[in-house]
Amino acid sequence: MPRFHFHIVEDGRVITDEQGQEFTERDAVRREAVETGASIARDAFIRGSASQVIVDVRKGDELFLKVSIFLTVEG
Amino acid sequence: MALDDQDVQAVRSLPVMVKHYQPGQAIVRDGDRPAECCLISKGFCVRSKTTSNGRRQILSIHIPGEIPDLQSLHLNVLDHDLITLTECTLGFISHVSLREITRRRPNVAEIFWRDTLIEAAMFRDWIVNVGQRPAPSRLAHIIVELRERLKVIGQVQGARFEMPLTQEQIGEAMGITPVHANRIVKQLRDDNVLEFHRGSVRVIDEQKLLELADFDGLYLHQRPSL
Repeated sequence: MPRFHFHIVEDGRVITDEQGQEFTERDAVRREAVETGASIARDAFIRGSASQVIVDVRKGDELFLKVSIFLTVEG
Repeated sequence: MALDDQDVQAVRSLPVMVKHYQPGQAIVRDGDRPAECCLISKGFCVRSKTTSNGRRQILSIHIPGEIPDLQSLHLNVLDHDLITLTECTLGFISHVSLREITRRRPNVAEIFWRDTLIEAAMFRDWIVNVGQRPAPSRLAHIIVELRERLKVIGQVQGARFEMPLTQEQIGEAMGITPVHANRIVKQLRDDNVLEFHRGSVRVIDEQKLLELADFDGLYLHQRPSL
């Protein structure tokens, strides 16, 4: 089973995922990345500690997918 | 509410069947109809429930001295899973003998009732924690609560105590993904609040931990005389 690493970038600050997780389906990786990003963004946006959260998913060394979440407040 | 000598004698003479469990083993499962309750003598357990699409929520962490499935004495069908986290030594006491002792010794019945009421108070607190606190506070709160309970049974040595949850299980307790849990664990270490190491926790900054945890231990009702 391939192993995926979910690295987090909050306003440029990188938090690496050394452990990684195993997934067999592409969709499950995507779901995990979106949910992780949304959940981290919720905390970071409310606290005001970041306004951009990126989940950079690697399969081995190569980029597998990337989820970007931005906070925009207008008015 | 206190036990007299005869109550204590009656509790001591309850027949107990001792069994050993490996980590990650189900003791009782959702839908089971148990005929006995289990007293944790050694090790840690969790209660959890899993949604139809396979997402697990950990509901509570249990430590030695507790009877996590006492409810099965009066509610026939179990509505959640009880699973070992570590190697466990469990003492099984039959419902027949528990029912008999509660009828014969009303003080014991009151203590059991009180126990399940405190459990309900802890579940209320768990709901507030998971629903209202940001993730770092959520984890700090769970850790401070666990420490308060471990203190009662003398299992806190200085700043260190056992917390045998994996990152995935921490996520399941807090309702977040393992990667988010990993991020929180790292943040608490980088902020010099606490540090996880091989199934235990070491508190680095007590003041910071308490501020983050937003903890008022009243709901544990650890002083019956209040």
